[in-house]
Amino acid sequence: MAAIRFSNVFKRYASGQDALLGVNFELASGEMAFLTGHSGAGKSTLLRLIMLMERPSRGQVWVGQQDLSRLHRSQIPYLRRQIGVVFQNHQLLFDRSVFDNVALPLQISGYDPADAARRARAALDKVGLLAREKHNPVTLSTGEQQRVGIARAIVHKPKLLLADEPTGNLDPELSEDIMRLFGQFNSIGTTVLIASHDLSLINRMQHRMLTLRNGRLVADV
Amino acid sequence: MSRPRRKEPETPAQRSTERGATAPRRGAQQHQILFADRSRSWRRHHLNVARESLLRLKQTPVASVMTLAVLAIALALPGFLLAALGNLQALTDGWDPQPRIALYMQTELSDAAIDSFSRELLLREDLSSVELISRQKGLEEFRQYSAFADLLERFDSNPLPAVIMVLPKDSDPLQLPLVRNELAALPGVDEAQLDMEWVQRLAAGLALAQRGSYVLGGLLALAVLLVVGNTVRMTIESRRDEILVSKLVGATDAWVRRPFLYSGFWFGLLGGLLAWLLVQVALMLLAQPAQALADLYLNEFELQGLGFQGSMIMLASATLLGLSGSWLAVSRHLREIEPGAAIPGDV
Repeated sequence: MAAIRFSNVFKRYASGQDALLGVNFELASGEMAFLTGHSGAGKSTLLRLIMLMERPSRGQVWVGQQDLSRLHRSQIPYLRRQIGVVFQNHQLLFDRSVFDNVALPLQISGYDPADAARRARAALDKVGLLAREKHNPVTLSTGEQQRVGIARAIVHKPKLLLADEPTGNLDPELSEDIMRLFGQFNSIGTTVLIASHDLSLINRMQHRMLTLRNGRLVADV
Repeated sequence: MSRPRRKEPETPAQRSTERGATAPRRGAQQHQILFADRSRSWRRHHLNVARESLLRLKQTPVASVMTLAVLAIALALPGFLLAALGNLQALTDGWDPQPRIALYMQTELSDAAIDSFSRELLLREDLSSVELISRQKGLEEFRQYSAFADLLERFDSNPLPAVIMVLPKDSDPLQLPLVRNELAALPGVDEAQLDMEWVQRLAAGLALAQRGSYVLGGLLALAVLLVVGNTVRMTIESRRDEILVSKLVGATDAWVRRPFLYSGFWFGLLGGLLAWLLVQVALMLLAQPAQALADLYLNEFELQGLGFQGSMIMLASATLLGLSGSWLAVSRHLREIEPGAAIPGDV
């Protein structure tokens, strides 16, 4: 049972740049994998295709049993609700508290407010920031902001968790903490795919590693 | 603590069986469970968003007040014009125009014959008054009031006909021409003229003014549409990040649209209320001089406001304009804000 499946996927941007060239892979449900490659290799593009932030030029992407090429624009929000995403630049909103940032996906999905509050606090507790729930994210350190982003990504308990350079700006110790957190989510059954170029960290984690080079998948170990 | 709203697998085993059992999209059964929740959360979201977008107006008080003032003036102007025209119409409806018919007698008739003809007219039941203006009297009046008095010097004899002014009892505009025709056919009558032109002119003038205020109203409605549209567009720009993040975590277009539509709604409604207030104040200021004018015409007249119906129409159209203006902005600009192009990062 595949959580993600890429079948001969090409992506060429309007600028003429080829980001992905014939990518094939499958990520099983409950698996955890790293996606690596140098800057510009196509890691972000691959993640964006899963989120339908972009559409492939050729080939097919499946999420679960859903063929994304058959997904109408109006269905995209429901796909995204099944996925949790952690961004490199965390994409937090600075006009509201940490708590409101984390509760946003639940609010959007229409959870009962009391239920949403309980879940948002549980997610914040998991990343160790429950005490900061009333703070504005701008007052937090980079590492803490990243953890808020993670809490927001997992607050609705998605089946699939994607992360784009989640440790990009963090020191090694913090990075390791965050990776351990992803490991924990994976151990309760969440499928996790992390794009990262931090090879030393990835090697220590002992998970499957997909390597992209110039848009091609060159290694899958 | 309330019950969990969503069915949610707690263990990996459960998770995989559930996923295996469901169709590519959610299973029908689960979908049904969600429906009641969804409509409840939909209502809740509407209430929240309505409240928040109202509060948001307060966050930028100066800008909001300015926008509302522009809207109020643009809405008040046609409202005021229509109210004024309504009053003018009520005023003229109260006037009895007393249409008179002027009978121009043949000039070769003697004064005595005309005199006896006018006495015969007095006996008719369909006329309420008869007034004879003899040739001589007409000449004197012409000398006195007309700028062309010297013209008369060129004539050897008095060129003016005798005129008999009659007042028909029935002032029905459909009946009057018939009476006129009947009188014109009487022997000795050269021409009979129904003196209704000024009433018709007034009516035509009013119709023109009314049409004019509709046109003006249309233009100002367009202005309201654009003002609200532009204000909402700026709000959309200032909340760009929020829109992007919301879309990334699964917000539907409707969800993203909602706060902006509500701001348009509030702009329209509040602008309409202010406009209504402006119109009422303006009418209050006019009430006294209007009364004085009406008194001169010995008329039973009282200045009318917009009335309940007029007020409701004004508020409703203001609200509708606000909503449409924001709809324009939202449909034009929200689609441009898509996560695809906006998230920086490598390829």
